[in-house]
Amino acid sequence: MNVRAQISMVMNLDKCIGCHTCSVTCKNVWTNRPGAEYMWWNNVETRPGPGYPRQWENQDKYNGGWALDGGKLKLRIEIKKDYKPPGLDDYYHPWTYDYEVLFSEKQTDQQPVARPISLIDGQPMDVAYGPNWNDDLAGTDLLLEDPNLDPVQKSIYAQFKDVFMMYLPRICNHCLNPSCLAACPRKALYKREEDGIVLVDQNRCRGYRYCVAACPYKKVYYNWKAGKSEKCILCYPRIEAGQPTVCSLTCVGKIRYMGVLLYDADKVLDVAAEPNPTRLVRRFIDEVLLDPFDPNVVSAARSAGIPDDWITAARRSPVYKMVKRWQVAFPLHPEFRTLPMVFYVPPLSPVVTAFEQTYGAKITDVFPRVSELRIPVKYLASMFTAGDTALVEQALRKLIAVRIYERSKNVAEPGLADKARQALAEAGLTEQDAEEMYRLFAIARYEDRFVIPTNPKRYANQPQLKAGMAGLP
Amino acid sequence: MRRPEVLFPGIALAVAVVLAALGIVVVTAQESAVLVKFINGSLPVDPASSLWPKPADVPLTGQTLVYPLAPAVENRAVSVAAVYNGTHIAFMLMWKDATQDVAMPGGLDVFPDAVAVQFPVSRAQLPYICMGTVDNPVNIIYWRAGVGVENLVAGAGYGLSPQQREALGLQATPTSPVELLPDSAQVVQAYAVYKDGAWYVVLVRPLGSVHPLMSSLADDFSAAFATWDGSKGERGGLKVTSGWVQFRLEKRITAAPQPTTVTATQTPATTVTQTYVVETTPAWAWAVIGVLVALLAVVAGLALRRR
Repeated sequence: MNVRAQISMVMNLDKCIGCHTCSVTCKNVWTNRPGAEYMWWNNVETRPGPGYPRQWENQDKYNGGWALDGGKLKLRIEIKKDYKPPGLDDYYHPWTYDYEVLFSEKQTDQQPVARPISLIDGQPMDVAYGPNWNDDLAGTDLLLEDPNLDPVQKSIYAQFKDVFMMYLPRICNHCLNPSCLAACPRKALYKREEDGIVLVDQNRCRGYRYCVAACPYKKVYYNWKAGKSEKCILCYPRIEAGQPTVCSLTCVGKIRYMGVLLYDADKVLDVAAEPNPTRLVRRFIDEVLLDPFDPNVVSAARSAGIPDDWITAARRSPVYKMVKRWQVAFPLHPEFRTLPMVFYVPPLSPVVTAFEQTYGAKITDVFPRVSELRIPVKYLASMFTAGDTALVEQALRKLIAVRIYERSKNVAEPGLADKARQALAEAGLTEQDAEEMYRLFAIARYEDRFVIPTNPKRYANQPQLKAGMAGLP
Repeated sequence: MRRPEVLFPGIALAVAVVLAALGIVVVTAQESAVLVKFINGSLPVDPASSLWPKPADVPLTGQTLVYPLAPAVENRAVSVAAVYNGTHIAFMLMWKDATQDVAMPGGLDVFPDAVAVQFPVSRAQLPYICMGTVDNPVNIIYWRAGVGVENLVAGAGYGLSPQQREALGLQATPTSPVELLPDSAQVVQAYAVYKDGAWYVVLVRPLGSVHPLMSSLADDFSAAFATWDGSKGERGGLKVTSGWVQFRLEKRITAAPQPTTVTATQTPATTVTQTYVVETTPAWAWAVIGVLVALLAVVAGLALRRR
C-alpha cells in the first residue's frame, strides 16, 4: 500500500443554482489577464447542452483522456495522431462592450448602443457563441448536442413535457492518472506530492499544447499571449494556508465541500485500466480510495510521511464521507480513465409540491421515487458512473430518504414516521447517518464544509513554531 | 599472402573510430563546405537581394529519437545561403511550406512555422547533433512565424553549478535543456517573407560571440538546421533536422577591420572564461583511445587468422 493524500472537492449539484459566482470570482482572481480572456478555469454549464468548449465530452472530436489499447492504457492523442487542439471557435470569441461610446456619442434622436467588441483585438464583432450559450436551456438545438443524451430519446427530451435541466460547475479534476501530465514531452506538468494538485510549471512549458488536447475535460488552456499553457491551480496559495478555493468560498449555494482523501497510489493504474467501464467507479471508491479509520491505512500513511494532522483531517473530511462512506458522490466521466478527484452529488429533480395537479398520477408522493425523477437516471449515469445506473439510483435513494426522514420530524402526518423508517432501510441508512447527512448537506458550517489541513512543506518544521513562537519574537 | 585481407577490416574500423573520436563525422566530411560570401558593406536583409550567393540545399529528415515521434515525414530540405562582413553574418534560409502558419492573438490552435540554426559553442569537437550534450553545448537561433527570434543555448544547463549559471546570466537552476540566453545576448535579427508557398527567412547576428555560451562564427564553422511545418502540428520535438553542415568563410577582399566581439549590447567582460564552461574531453585522449582500439582490432584480427 502506497498511501498518498489529496485535497479533493465535492460539489452537491442538488444545491447549484447556476449563478456563476464561482466562475466570476475565479476569473477575477486568476484569469483576468491578456491571453486568458477566453479561459474559465471554473465554468458552469447548463445540461443537457454542449458545454464549454463546445461538446468537450465528445472524444471522437477532441481525443482527450485514455483508451485501452490491448488492455493497456494509451493516450487517445497517441492513438489518433492527426488531431488539433481546440481553437477559439470551439471555446468562444471573448467579448466586451464598447461602453465608451455611451459617454462620447453626440446627442441624437437614437440612444447610443454599446456594441460588442472583441476582447482580443478590440474590433467590433458579432457574438455567435459563449461559454454558457444555452444558459437555462436557451435553444433546444444546443440541448441536442449533449453527448450524454441517449440518441433514441433525444427528441423526447426536447419536448416541453419531458424537458429537464441541471447545472454542472466544472474545475480541473486534479486527477490521479492525469492524461495532461502524461502527454507533456517537457514534463512541465506535475502532481504535487503533498496535496495532489496538478500544476503546469510555467518555466518548463513551451506551449506545445499536447496537454490541452489530452485533457478529456479540456481544463488546460493555452495562453496565446504568453505562449504557454495554464490551468486551475486549486487556489494552492489558499489551500496551503488551510483555506478553501475562491470558487468554494464564494459559492452562494454552499454546494462545495473540500477535504482530504487518502488513496493508494499502487492501485491507480490497475483500476484505471479496468476493462469494464461500468466497474470503474466502484473499483475507484473501493480499491483506490482508502478508509482513514482503518489502522492499517493509518500506519501505512504515517510511514509514507503523511503528517498526523492530515490523517485527522482525512477522518473529518466531508469528501471522504460523501464519496467513500455514503457513496453519494461520483467522479465526472470516469470512462476517460483519469480517476478525477472532484466528485459530484447527482441532483434530484426540483421538489414537486403540486404534484397531483401538474403531473397527474406520474408522481406518487411529495418526494418522487427514483424512477419518477424528471432527470433520467440514465443521463446521470452516463455523466457520473460510465453507465452504472444502480450506483446513481442508490445515491438518489439515500438523498430522498434523508428528505423523507427530515420531513417526518417536522410534519405531523399519520404514517410518515413509518414511511421514513422504510425509506431509510431501503436506502441502507441508519437514523444517525440521515441526521449526519442532513447536517452536512443542508446546514453545514464553514468548518464542516472545508476541512483543509495546512501544507506540511510550508507550515511544518518551521524553527520558530518548534521553538513555540509565532510571529515576531 | 592472406594477411592484408584479414587486416584490412580491422584497420578500416580503427581509422573510422579514430576519425569519429576526433570529431570528424564521415557523412558531413563528404559534403563540400558552404561558402560564406564576404561583402564589403552592409549585409542584405531582403531575401530577394542579388547579393546572396547561390544557396546550398540541406536535406532534412524527421526527428525519430524522442517522444513524440513524428509520423512518416516526406523528404524535405532547406536552402541556405550565407554572407558576412566585418562585424556581422547573415543567413538566408528558404524552405517550401504550402501553408503559412503564423502565431496570432487568439490563435489557440495555430502552430507557427519555424526554423532553427544550431552552432557548436566549442570549436574543440562537434557536439552531439541532437541539441548537444552537457559537456558540449550548442547555440541555437530559433525563429517562429509571428513570435520572433530567440538566441538559445541547449545542453549547457545541467553541466554548470548555480554560481556559474548566475555568472552567465542564467537562472540558478536549469528548467529545461534548452534555455534562453540573457537579454544581453539576444542580438539576432530576423526578416521573414512568405512567398509562393515558401518561407524566406534572413537571420543576422554578430560574427563574433557576445556571450560565453554563444558561438563565434569568425572562423570556419559548422551548423545544423531544423524546420517545423505548423499545419502538420509540428512543434517541439516534432520537426525535421539536418546533419552538421560545414561553412567556410570567403577570404576578405579588402582590409576590413578584424571582427571583434564588442557590440552595442555587449556587457562588460566578466571573469567567466570559456574554458570551464565547455569541458570537452581533450582530443589527444580520444586519439590515444582510438589507437588502443586499433591495436586491439589488429590483435583480434591476428588471433582470428591463427585460428
